[in-house]
Amino acid sequence: MRRQIPLALVFIFGVFMIFQYFVPHESSEWIYEFLLDWIYIIGIFALALGIWSLIRVSVAKIKARKANWGYPIITLVGLFLMILFGFTGYRDGSLGFHFMTAEGLSNPMFRNFFDYILIPIQSTMFALLAFFIASAAYRAFRARNVLASLLLVAALVVMLRFNPYLGPIGPYVADAASWLLNVPNLAAKRAIIIGIGLGMVATALKIILGIERGYMGKG
Amino acid sequence: MKYKSLVILLFIFCAFTLSAAQEDAAPVDTVQVDSILPPAPVSMLTAKDGENDHGHSITLRWALSADDGAGQNSVLSYDVFRWVPFFMDTLQSIGDSLDAAEGAVAEQLRKRRDQAVVMIPQVHKSYPEQGEWRKIGTALSGQASFNDVGVKERESRDYMADHTDYYYRVDAVTADSTVRTASEVVGPVQSYGQLFNTGRIPVFVAVIVFGFLTIFFVVRAKMGTELYVRPLAGIEAVDDAIGRATEMGKPILYVLGLGTAADIGTIASFTILGRVAKRVAEYQTKLIVPCYDPIVMTVAQETVKAAYLDAGRPDDYYEDIVYFVTQSQFAYVAAVNGTMLRELPATNMYMGVFYAESLILAETGALAGSIQIAGTDQVAQLPFFIVACDYTLIGEELYAASAYLGREPILLGSLKAQDYAKAAVIILAALGLLAASLNWTAFINLFSVTS
Amino acid sequence: MRRSTIIVMAMVFGLFILSWIFRSTSLASVQEHYLIGGLKVTFSAFLTLAILSFLYKDNPFYKFAEHLFVGISAAFWMSMGFWTTIVGNLIPRLSRSLSEFFQVPYQPGSYNFVYFIPVILGIMLLMRLSSKYGWFARWPLAFIVGTFAGLNFVRYLRSDFIEQVSATFVPLLVNWQGVGHFISNFSLSASGQFVAIVGNWVIFLGVICGIIYFFFSKEHKGAFGAASRVGIWILMITFGASFGYTVMGRISLLVGRITFLFRDWLNLIS
Repeated sequence: MRRQIPLALVFIFGVFMIFQYFVPHESSEWIYEFLLDWIYIIGIFALALGIWSLIRVSVAKIKARKANWGYPIITLVGLFLMILFGFTGYRDGSLGFHFMTAEGLSNPMFRNFFDYILIPIQSTMFALLAFFIASAAYRAFRARNVLASLLLVAALVVMLRFNPYLGPIGPYVADAASWLLNVPNLAAKRAIIIGIGLGMVATALKIILGIERGYMGKG
Repeated sequence: MKYKSLVILLFIFCAFTLSAAQEDAAPVDTVQVDSILPPAPVSMLTAKDGENDHGHSITLRWALSADDGAGQNSVLSYDVFRWVPFFMDTLQSIGDSLDAAEGAVAEQLRKRRDQAVVMIPQVHKSYPEQGEWRKIGTALSGQASFNDVGVKERESRDYMADHTDYYYRVDAVTADSTVRTASEVVGPVQSYGQLFNTGRIPVFVAVIVFGFLTIFFVVRAKMGTELYVRPLAGIEAVDDAIGRATEMGKPILYVLGLGTAADIGTIASFTILGRVAKRVAEYQTKLIVPCYDPIVMTVAQETVKAAYLDAGRPDDYYEDIVYFVTQSQFAYVAAVNGTMLRELPATNMYMGVFYAESLILAETGALAGSIQIAGTDQVAQLPFFIVACDYTLIGEELYAASAYLGREPILLGSLKAQDYAKAAVIILAALGLLAASLNWTAFINLFSVTS
Repeated sequence: MRRSTIIVMAMVFGLFILSWIFRSTSLASVQEHYLIGGLKVTFSAFLTLAILSFLYKDNPFYKFAEHLFVGISAAFWMSMGFWTTIVGNLIPRLSRSLSEFFQVPYQPGSYNFVYFIPVILGIMLLMRLSSKYGWFARWPLAFIVGTFAGLNFVRYLRSDFIEQVSATFVPLLVNWQGVGHFISNFSLSASGQFVAIVGNWVIFLGVICGIIYFFFSKEHKGAFGAASRVGIWILMITFGASFGYTVMGRISLLVGRITFLFRDWLNLIS
């Protein structure tokens, strides 16, 4: 019962989604749109579970007083402040349960936290990729075997394609890079995508038929 | 003075020359406005319901006017007209009032609008009385079709009712928009939604064939047929990696990726997590599973709990093995990086859907000295995992991993089905090569999905 | 906490105050609320440097920035989710009085009652917190997993299988009836027939060998093994090319942050 009904639900909704793909009629489309809407709504309830988990783990770390126990306090302070700013705001001069007005966000602190804390940190984390790609290249380009050598040569050719200091071989490197990106790259990506497609399709079918049940736990 | 006059003369000369050149360069089919004759009308005008759609559209086709690119060359465009009852203006004005109304007034107007919408098919039956021809679009010279497309939402201004009689005509228009010739009226034609999308027949056939293959091999596997699977380095390394962590007394970090529970890569990762968690429970090693998505966290908690139960160690399980971090990509990465550098796991496993953060995770793990096994179906991230990790499961190998780790006949059976499908791809590609070389368009069109 | 750590933190705090004063001074002629403006830019710059300090090693500044980021981002998505989905999409369909409370337009409709179903499923998901009724959470999970399994099944069968296979239908000989130059020159970017033919063959054989590499149920020996080896070579060339292709893009991200530090914070570049 505890597993039969969920497995039946998986089958029913899985089969319906396959069915609606081939039935363009309006009624099938309406149901499809409902179902997708529902998933977003359920996602918000799930987010509440997630926030609860974050709070619980942070409180447990603070209570345990192990190394770095002070930092979860910062997490909780940031969390509650942002919740406060996100759920309260000014409308017509009075503070209340608002988010947006005709003029924009009703709480300027929400915007400030987004612009001056979230965005700078997010952009800097993204910028770390520049350093990491260099360190990854340094470690990987030691050509331990044939495969690593092939990877190294291909990467070098493509990286140097716009380099103005290559002299007479410059145009040939650019041509080779362009050919590598358009021909073998296309072939290999297609092979991978076909494999992924088959694997995905097989897994999806196994889920619908109830063969793949790892996501449901036991009991 | 002389100089100035010369300049002015030169300027006038250039102006005349340029305008003459413009006239010389004018296309052959441009006719002087005052000498345009009424063009030949379009012929064989047909109007049909749009194909393979949810209704609310009509497709018009016609044979070009004889004066389009030939004859007098005077036709520059085609204006498409539909007969619209005056009642539709009433509906429009209700909609305009509704935009500005609130509260009880809006409620009243909404009811009126809903009642009016129901009457649309009926009022169209009054053709040709109580209505007029209105232009709904234009096709350029050389175009012989037009799609009159509306929306299905009744509240919208662009709502086009199904099962309603529509009438059309097409005017061939010259450079002088008053000089035009109308076609014969075509109609009544009704739009309606189709019950089967014939443009997707190749996909339908593929669904049947693939479904049959999978079920066939699963049933065969249940009957106990032995199945060989080639070794996968990444999978074979899992046991060693878990053993290494146990010996060093360090934890194992398992990252499910940034996908949702709906992504197939994440679902494959759950199965792998279950197997890893069972071995981890048997060896009594610490497991850390930070999650990006709260639903993924829920499923992962169930999976790990069940794994500990299976391993006979339910008391070793605690809720915070699997925990939620945040649903922001780089905040999640920042937190996982911090965990890697503070907990110093012996083994990092990245299995699932990853995006730009893949390299940050893998490099930080390498800095922390962990053995790293990755698997993703995101083609764009594979190069980074290949470069930064010790073992990588490429694409399909991630989905196969759960079959490898569990060695269950049914899962291995579906791997066999996938291999047969790949063999079919090779045969089809070879046939396609021949077809493209010998121009067998019928074969090529079999694989064409048109909508 | 060690003494050196306290000294470093005090120095950083002092630098922060100095920076705030200098930035506010430079903004005084431009902005009305220059103190707040200066504080915002200075705080952003320090958070940027705190994250960059991670490249040296883990340190209290990175830990501070990381934990602050986690807390604020979690609450950010919770707020956005609540206001856009629950208040923007769900409440207008379910309750007139709640719509009036949140000042969103009520959307009556004949099928609005179906939106009670996700609410019920959401509450069932929250039952995960109960040890006795936690199994109810499987129902919304089953709904989500089943729906997307069905959707992904057909979508990927089309995009990753049928369309990829049909794109591999390339001709053996391009313009084989001899129209156009056969060999224009040996440049790889030339559009001559020879280059196009070679390209088609590489694509065809590359796809075949790549697919052979992914065979699981057959041992990679003999000719099959050789084809599989060619497949993995082409895969490695692809991964190398993709890696090289993204390098410039990643470096441009760093340029963006450096520009912020030198222009918006230190005002050293215009």
